[in-house]
Amino acid sequence: MGCSSSLPDRSPGRVGGLNPDNGGDSDAKNLRVKLVLLGDSGVGKSCIVLRFVRGQFDPTSKVTVGASFLSQTIALQDSTTVKFEIWDTAGQERYAALAPLYYRGAAVGVIVYDITNPDSFHKAQYWVKELQKHGSPDIVLALVGNKADLQEKREVSVQAGIEYAEKNGMFFIETSAKTADNINQLFEEIAKRLPRPSPS
Amino acid sequence: MYTTQKKMVIPFEIQTEITILRPSIHARRANLVVKFQDLYGFTVEGNVDDVNILNEVREKVREQGKAWWAMEANKGANWYFHTYASSIALTSSLRFSVLVNAMTLKKLIRKGIPPSLRPKVWFSLSGAAKKKSTVPDSYYDDLTGAVSDKITPATKQIDHDLPRTFPGHPWLDTPAGHAAVRRVLVGYSFRDSDVGYCQGLNYVAAMLLLVMKTEEEAFWMLAVLLENVLVSDCYTDNLSGCHVEQRVFKDLLTKKCPRLSTHLETMGFDVSLVATEWFLCLFSKSLPSETTMRVWDVLFYEGAKVLFNVALAIFKMKEEELLMTHSVGDVIKIIQDTTHHLFDPDELLTVAFDKLNFMTTNLSKQRKKQETVVMAELDQRLRRLNTSKLRVNG
Ligand SMILES: Nc1nc2c(ncn2[C@@H]2O[C@H](COP(=O)(O)OP(=O)(O)OP(=O)(O)O)[C@@H](O)[C@H]2O)c(=O)[nH]1
Ligand SMILES: [Mg+2]
Repeated sequence: MGCSSSLPDRSPGRVGGLNPDNGGDSDAKNLRVKLVLLGDSGVGKSCIVLRFVRGQFDPTSKVTVGASFLSQTIALQDSTTVKFEIWDTAGQERYAALAPLYYRGAAVGVIVYDITNPDSFHKAQYWVKELQKHGSPDIVLALVGNKADLQEKREVSVQAGIEYAEKNGMFFIETSAKTADNINQLFEEIAKRLPRPSPS
Repeated sequence: MYTTQKKMVIPFEIQTEITILRPSIHARRANLVVKFQDLYGFTVEGNVDDVNILNEVREKVREQGKAWWAMEANKGANWYFHTYASSIALTSSLRFSVLVNAMTLKKLIRKGIPPSLRPKVWFSLSGAAKKKSTVPDSYYDDLTGAVSDKITPATKQIDHDLPRTFPGHPWLDTPAGHAAVRRVLVGYSFRDSDVGYCQGLNYVAAMLLLVMKTEEEAFWMLAVLLENVLVSDCYTDNLSGCHVEQRVFKDLLTKKCPRLSTHLETMGFDVSLVATEWFLCLFSKSLPSETTMRVWDVLFYEGAKVLFNVALAIFKMKEEELLMTHSVGDVIKIIQDTTHHLFDPDELLTVAFDKLNFMTTNLSKQRKKQETVVMAELDQRLRRLNTSKLRVNG
C-alpha cells in the first residue's frame, strides 16, 4: 500500500483507443479518476497535491491561476491501481465561474478548508452545495481540514468538520501538507470509496 | 515610515553570462538535468542542450542589440517613438519614409528588443509614457503613500500572494522585492477598484519590475496594459474579458487547426484548461523568462491579438504529437513540456508570426459575438447560485 510515482504512467491494459474524460472510464484493476480540488485561496490545495505527488512540502508554493494539472498513481492492497488525474483550482472568488470547467465529469471532489480560518470553512460549504447540485451524480466528496499542524491556532473544531461532513454524506479528514499527516490516507480512503466497474 | 521609492532602481542586474557548460558526451548521454540562472535571474532546470540554447539566445540578443544601436546612430535616439507617433497620427498623407520606418520597427520588434533597451522602448511605444504625462509628476508617490496603510480584500490577498510569486528569485523573493511588488499592486488596486487585485497580476507586476527597473515605470506599464493594451474586463470581478478571449481563441483554433480541434474536443479537452493561465499571466508562468519578454515586446507594440498568435503557435508546433494523444492528461503533459522548454524565443515567434497567417479574422467582430454569449452564461450562473442560496437559507 502507499504511493508510488514509479508506476507506469498509462495503466496497463489500456493501450490505444479513445478515453473520453469521464472519470469512470477504466478497467476493474486499473482505475483512472478525475479529481478536482476546490476551496478558498491559501488553504493549501496546491501544497496538498505537491505533497501527494512529489512527496515534498514547499512552503513557497506558487499562486494558482486558473488551475493546474498533476497526476499520481497509487497501488491499493487488493493489487488494483488508481491513477488520479488532479485538477488543482485557483481559490480567488473571481475564478469561481471557471470551476465547472474543472469539475465537469470529475469522479471525486476534494473540498479543502484551513482549520485556522472559519471563513474558509464557510467557503467549503458553498463548494459542497455547488458540487452536490451540479457535479456528477455519483461524485465522491471529501471534506478536508488542512493545516492540522497549527493546533494552537485552530478556529474550526474537529467536531464541526465531522458533523458537516456526516450530514452531507462526505468523507472527512484533517491533514497537514506540512508534516505529511494524513495526506496519503486522504487519497487512499478516496480510492476505496470509488465505485468499481464490475470485472469483465 | 513611508519613503519615496519611485526613483529607486532595482538592484538587480540582467545576467549577462551563465556558466558555460562543456558537456561531456557522458553528460549528454545521461541527459543530466542541471539547474542554472537565466537572463532574468530565474532558476531553470534543463538538460545540457537547454543550457546551450540559452547561450545561443544570449549571443543573438547581443547581435540584436547591435542592430538597434545602428538604427539609433542612423535615425536618432528616439526614432522608434517618432515613427510610432506619426504612424498613429491617422493622417492620409503618411510619408513614405514614415511607412518604411514603421515596417522596419515592426520587424525589429518581432526579432526582439535588447534587454538593455527594453525599459525605454516599452515605455514609449506602449503608451505608458503618454499616460503618465497626463497626471502630475507626484501621482505614483502620492497614490502609494496615501494607501500604504489601508486594508482591503485586495491588499489582504496581495499580502498572501507576495511570497507565492516567483519564490526563490534572487531579488523578487526578498523583503525589498516583496515590498516593491506590493506597492505596485496595492497602488493599482486603488487606481482601478473594479479590478482591485486579481491573482495572476502578481506575476505580471513582478516581471514588469524586473524589466523596467523602477516601481513607477512598472506601475505605468501595468496601467497601460490593463487599460489600453488588453481587452477590457480581463481581470475584473467575473473575468468576463478573459472568458471572451478564451472563446475567441477556441474558434480560432477550430479554424486554423480543424483536425486537432476536433480531436481535442472528442477527448473532452477544452483549450481554456491551459489557455486561461496563459492569457491572465501573459505567459509569464509558463514560458522561460526571455521567451515571455519577447512575447511582451510584440504585445506592447501590436496589441492583445498577439496572445492569440502565441497560443495558437504552441498548439500548432505540437499538432502531430497532440493528434496522437488519448487523454486530457497526455495533452496537458505535452503542452507543459513544450512551454517550459521553449528556451529559444525565435522557435516560437517564427511560428506565431511568420507561419501562421491567421489575422484575416476580424477579431473585434468575434469578440462582440462572444461577449453576448459570455454575459448570458455568467448571468445564468449567478442566478442559479442565488436560487440555491435562497433554498439553503429558507
Ligand atoms: N502550517 C501549514 N501551512 C500550510 C499547509 N499547507 C499549506 N500551507 C501554507 O499555506 C500557503 C498557501 O498554500 P497553497 O497550497 O499555495 O494554497 P492554495 O489553496 O493552493 O491557494 P490558491 O492557489 O491561491 O488557491 C503556503 O504558502 C503554505 O506555506 C499546512 O498543512 N500547514
Ligand atoms: Mg494553489
